[in-house]
Amino acid sequence: MTHEQASELLAAFALHALDRDEEQAVSAHMQSCAQCQDELASLREVTEQLGSAVGQVSPPPRLREAVLAGIRSRPDVITLRRGWVVGVAAAAAVLLLVLAGLGVSLSRQLTALSARLAAQERVLALLAAPSARSVPLTGTVAAAVRFVYDPDRGLGALVVSDLRDPGRESVYQLWLIAGAQPESAGVFRPLPGQPIVLPVTADFSRYQAVAISVERAPSGALQPTTTPVLLGKL
Amino acid sequence: MRTGASLAVGERPIRPSAVEWQMERGATQADHEATLLARIARRDATAFETLYDRYSRAIYSLALRLLGNPQAAQEVAQEIFLHIWRGAGEFIPARGSARSWVLSLAHHRTVDALRRQRVRAVEPLAEGDLGAGGGADVVDQALRGVEGATVRSALMTLSPEQREAIVLAYYGGYTQQEIANRLRIPLGTVKTRIRDGMQRLRGQLVQGEEER
Repeated sequence: MTHEQASELLAAFALHALDRDEEQAVSAHMQSCAQCQDELASLREVTEQLGSAVGQVSPPPRLREAVLAGIRSRPDVITLRRGWVVGVAAAAAVLLLVLAGLGVSLSRQLTALSARLAAQERVLALLAAPSARSVPLTGTVAAAVRFVYDPDRGLGALVVSDLRDPGRESVYQLWLIAGAQPESAGVFRPLPGQPIVLPVTADFSRYQAVAISVERAPSGALQPTTTPVLLGKL
Repeated sequence: MRTGASLAVGERPIRPSAVEWQMERGATQADHEATLLARIARRDATAFETLYDRYSRAIYSLALRLLGNPQAAQEVAQEIFLHIWRGAGEFIPARGSARSWVLSLAHHRTVDALRRQRVRAVEPLAEGDLGAGGGADVVDQALRGVEGATVRSALMTLSPEQREAIVLAYYGGYTQQEIANRLRIPLGTVKTRIRDGMQRLRGQLVQGEEER
């Protein structure tokens, strides 16, 4: 598309009133045309005002919950087959679980598949590393939860073999703690009788501990709001 | 809000500095909106939450106006925020304000949703009950939903034909071709109306902009 053709279509482009093909052609031209970029920026000030002029209505609070849950949900949680092991104690047993989990996860829907496969690859690489360490998480609830990590390669995984259900209104949230600063590593919910593995990639030299707190479902919190129920020192 | 949930679990505390959670980090600072998008691009969930609180009303209202249905508006608003979460890195401050980028993204996604809806409904575009006016009802209805006085009066400075074309495009979610079909006029005419109408609107609405 020539510059003349593209600039003729910019107003409609800003209004999103082009067919898909035209839109892509204008978009492609725009990449390398500073003049069209400037023109579009000023047309977008017009559409911004058109958009802001509609009657304002507050969305329901559940939209906020849903949106925040959407960005925090972990697509890469590995679910292991029921009944394999309860109370995992050693990395070798974890490896068996992960291998068993591969077959299960492969049959799951395609959308989450690549995230899961990448996660499994990371966990396998972690478990094969001679420098990998494993720490149990202990605290105020009876649980079989460990954190396995390889500080040299920044790979880690939380292995939840046994942890009571947090109740419908709550989820567990995993935190990495650097100094006084907890950083969220995602929320999860244990499955009854079914171990799960949450891969975590991080520079573990920055953190002194991993902790799990109970937070509000479905999205957890930005910072912990309750005392952690489990803690493991790295 | 509690401010000092303790980390001291078990018999061996890690070290004193690790015992206190630091709560509500930076939640009160007034972020410049471009900075907010840059932080979101770095996967900063606090920044995203701030952005949600700042834009959810505008985005939801726009989606609701175009889609006319709260359920569909919520679905598309959720999709829009996920796009912002994933695509914040594509925002380039030199090419316009954060707000115009966010609202443009929101409009684009909403129009896409509207077109998916119409494909499912198999709306007859060029014939049937549309009548000779073709777009008059949609235009009247859309204009009733425009509550901003400045934008309303700016739209009223357009010729009725320009106004119709722009309102059908922006608030109706129709492409130029669909507008031409609806109104039974040549595509070239629609293109001219949209181009001239947008120039005129820009002269009215954008500060420091001379009418061209």
